[in-house]
Amino acid sequence: MIAIVGLVVGIVLGLLVQPDIPVWFQPYLPIAVVAALDAVLGGLRALLDGIFDDKVFVVSFLSNVVIAAAIVFLGDKLGVGGQLSTGVIVVLGIRIFSNVAAIRRHLLRA
Amino acid sequence: MPDSAYRRLPDHVTMPLLTLVTRQSLDQDYAYVAQRRASGEAGPADRRSVIWLVLVLVGFGVLVSTAAAQSSRDAAIDETSRASLIREIDAKREQLTALQDRAGVLQGRIAEARSADEEAAALDAQASLRLNRLQARTGYGPARGAGVRITVDDAPGTQAAVVRDSDLALLVDALWGVGAEAIAINGQRLTTLTAIRNVNVSIHVNSRPLAPPYVVEAIGDTRTLQADLLNSQRGQRFFALAGGLGFQLTRTNADDLDLPSAPLPALRYAAATTGVDNGAADRKEQP
Repeated sequence: MIAIVGLVVGIVLGLLVQPDIPVWFQPYLPIAVVAALDAVLGGLRALLDGIFDDKVFVVSFLSNVVIAAAIVFLGDKLGVGGQLSTGVIVVLGIRIFSNVAAIRRHLLRA
Repeated sequence: MPDSAYRRLPDHVTMPLLTLVTRQSLDQDYAYVAQRRASGEAGPADRRSVIWLVLVLVGFGVLVSTAAAQSSRDAAIDETSRASLIREIDAKREQLTALQDRAGVLQGRIAEARSADEEAAALDAQASLRLNRLQARTGYGPARGAGVRITVDDAPGTQAAVVRDSDLALLVDALWGVGAEAIAINGQRLTTLTAIRNVNVSIHVNSRPLAPPYVVEAIGDTRTLQADLLNSQRGQRFFALAGGLGFQLTRTNADDLDLPSAPLPALRYAAATTGVDNGAADRKEQP
């Protein structure tokens, strides 16, 4: 599908261009990646459930990344950066696990 | 709180946290939009949103690959910084060992120096004792003890005989001869270099003028000094001379004579030699 092509293109592009992340954003890159992964897996599960919608996916992806990075950034400013990032990672991790479990159920049944 | 009211509260209030998180792991928006589309309220998906979808997926790919590249670069940096830290730790450990060895060596030297210092202090104490003994013996240090006091005065009368340097020298010679160990005339200590000379009328001892009566103090064995003096040849000559010329003589034993030291002269022609030690320092003598 065109989505998979887009994904592959993105990965190749990232490896070729190797954009320089600005220094102030570098600590939040891992959080952004985990949040993005959670949104993508949620979209994949919705696709397998048959209720996928492009707009919802785009919105959920962008808001996940922005909100996760913003929460950790706020935590750094307040001085509780470590604890807040732990909390965000825990929640995102739980969501990723349950989405992957649902996807697995779909794939194994199909 | 009554049970029914509790049950009427919405799910996200009553449910435990983990259950809530797990149940809401799929965005409720998907279900909501699907419900609305099924009930016909929302229109079908349009083409523009597919472009957005592709863009977002491209962005996701870029994000993931960038994060992967970043972490691999950081890992290399972390590894080199860790390696350099380890090298620094090892270098500092070697320095520490070297310094500890040096500290041990220095402590050994301190102990040696301390024992050498103690030896030197002991030698110094011995040398001071010897110096004191020598000073008392030679006249360049004060001496005290029991001895004899002889006072010689001119004969009375203006035209009478005056005590001369040779007379005093005779008496002093006699005293040395019978075993006096320290002699002073009018408080001037006699040494090996002391001369008793007449300068016109006055007698000079240690180049200091003295006036009569001449008090000759001699430290020696009080039991025998006077007797030996009277028995010795020079002593007899002196007493004969003094009696003949009419000098006023008094002789007493004194218990506590305190003789001062003579001034130390500068030797211009005689030089000290590291010569034969006659063993005097080894003999046990009282100070």
